Amino acid sequence: MGNTDRALRWLFRAGYGTVFLLLVAPVVVVTATSLSATTAVTFPPTDLSFRWYTTLFTRRVWMQAVQNSLLTAGGTAVFSTGLGVAGALGARHLSDRSQIAVSGLVLVPLLVPGVVLGVSLLIFFSRFGLQQRLSTIVLAHALWATPLTFSVMRATFSRFDWQLQEAAMDLGASRLRAFREVVVPNTVSGLVAAAAIAFVVSLQEFIMALFLSGRETRTIPVESWFALRGSLSPLVSVASTLLVGAVVLTLIIAATAIGLERVADDT
Amino acid sequence: MAILEVDSITNSFGSVTAVDDVSLSVEAGELFCLLGPSGCGKSTTLRTIAGFEQPDSGQIRIDGTDVTPTEPNRRDCSMVFQDWALFPNKTVRENVAFGLRMNDVATAQRRQRVDETLSLVEMTDHAEKPPAALSGGQKQRVALARSLAFEPEILLLDEPLSNLDRKLREAMQLEIKSIQRETGMTMVYVTHDQDEAFTLADRIGIINEGHIAQQGPPATVYTDPTNQFVESFLGTTNFITCEVTATTAVEPATPEATDGGTAEIELTTPFGEPLSVPAVDRLSPGDTVTASIRPERVSVVTASSEPPASWLFTATGTVEQRLHRGSRIRYELAVGETTLVTERRIDERLGVDIGDSVAVGCQPEAITYFDAAGRRIR
Repeated sequence: MGNTDRALRWLFRAGYGTVFLLLVAPVVVVTATSLSATTAVTFPPTDLSFRWYTTLFTRRVWMQAVQNSLLTAGGTAVFSTGLGVAGALGARHLSDRSQIAVSGLVLVPLLVPGVVLGVSLLIFFSRFGLQQRLSTIVLAHALWATPLTFSVMRATFSRFDWQLQEAAMDLGASRLRAFREVVVPNTVSGLVAAAAIAFVVSLQEFIMALFLSGRETRTIPVESWFALRGSLSPLVSVASTLLVGAVVLTLIIAATAIGLERVADDT
Repeated sequence: MAILEVDSITNSFGSVTAVDDVSLSVEAGELFCLLGPSGCGKSTTLRTIAGFEQPDSGQIRIDGTDVTPTEPNRRDCSMVFQDWALFPNKTVRENVAFGLRMNDVATAQRRQRVDETLSLVEMTDHAEKPPAALSGGQKQRVALARSLAFEPEILLLDEPLSNLDRKLREAMQLEIKSIQRETGMTMVYVTHDQDEAFTLADRIGIINEGHIAQQGPPATVYTDPTNQFVESFLGTTNFITCEVTATTAVEPATPEATDGGTAEIELTTPFGEPLSVPAVDRLSPGDTVTASIRPERVSVVTASSEPPASWLFTATGTVEQRLHRGSRIRYELAVGETTLVTERRIDERLGVDIGDSVAVGCQPEAITYFDAAGRRIR
């Protein structure tokens, strides 16, 4: 191996090492500042304590935000996984050209800026007096989550042996019953992965939630933003750390589900 | 009474016609085999009977009722799939109980029926295992039990044994046959393996390029083919390409042997001896006629002995090859410009060596003729 090759290799490593550090650095700073013992947000923190964690769990607005976030993320996971499943099932029966068209079309909401979606949805829902509700936030988040659940379910269903569904129907199961008895149990990892991805999308989304939420329906990112406007308090760091923790945990669940399925497929 | 009637169904996928005007009827308690090369449309026919495919035209009737628009789960038939399609998330018992559960059979009765069926296929000891823990033959038994358990009117089997090795396959053929006798179940069995079809079938339908070439009892189909495809598909045969020389009525040499002097058409053959076929309008001089003689029906005597007078023709040939194939010996004989293959059981071997000169012929009933379109001439 020549010197140039070696140099290039080290340059490459340095390059992606830097990118990785830049990605992780904010998380480290936020986590560190959340453990601050003082009221000031300082990095590195001088003393470590969990006092801001205890404080967060005693504040009504923050607990409301945690509840709102969980409800929204859970709702989005269920709703957009349902849509993704239905879409992927329907797409199976389309011609190849239509399948490509549908797969492209489904991605369109991801390309629209959150601000634009947020404003338009606010105007739209207001006409029906539906502003400031969690359900509208769920619908908005589903716009971004469904393209992803659709793709995951398409991949899952393409690996599923549909003869099992035929066998179930042949033995007297209705389409729905066959789906429940045979399709779901054998595609459960794909379903979990899709739901987890939708959950994460909703949990970390800020802009649309900002437009669509009201005083009682703020999610954690929105509540953090309002808190930040008042003062820079370690409480925001705590909320952010919890959010990052929840996202990482959900992603681990999804990765495990997909990974286990691969292992099962290969044996 | 016919329990299953397939009434001229046609199935196309895009520009490909997989099933072309297929009609057949299956009697209650009968085992009907659909036999054909791969891609001939036999599986599509079966899937249409099961309801997984909708025919473009035609009708499927079960017990006299038109079920063409009926969903698969409402049809009183059940399919055994080629790769079995056992539910991997359920145990053997749950797999077998599935059909009963879907048909709302009460728990106690269901349990009893599952036990009965598992013991019928000798899988009682494996009832609590998941399908992944079973061998191919065991999976096959479970698939069979799963379809038998809820007692459908008709059992459809789509090459159920093609994934098994030869020994197991032959054992399972006999077992399926005995289960069929025991239960009196009507079965439609798809296979590309003619030995399997002949072992199992009460009647055979031979499919080629989407349509039924011939149907009937195995023996009839083998000995009395109506077209050249059936003759060539069932076992090996010698095809001899002949040419029509004259269509004028030929005075029979031996009047008593040819139905009182029916008009005949004379053929030239590649081995020099003329042959004649019954006169049919569709033949004119210069047309090609293919004669077929099964290897086991080619008669051979050594050159020193006198050939029997009953032979249809007598040609001289040379032994080119002698192959020992287990219990049989295969001889290749150069006769004129063609090669005829004959086979003898080892205890009926011909006393000839390679290079020996022999007289070759056949009995009149051993030969069948087909016109250029493959239709039988008789």
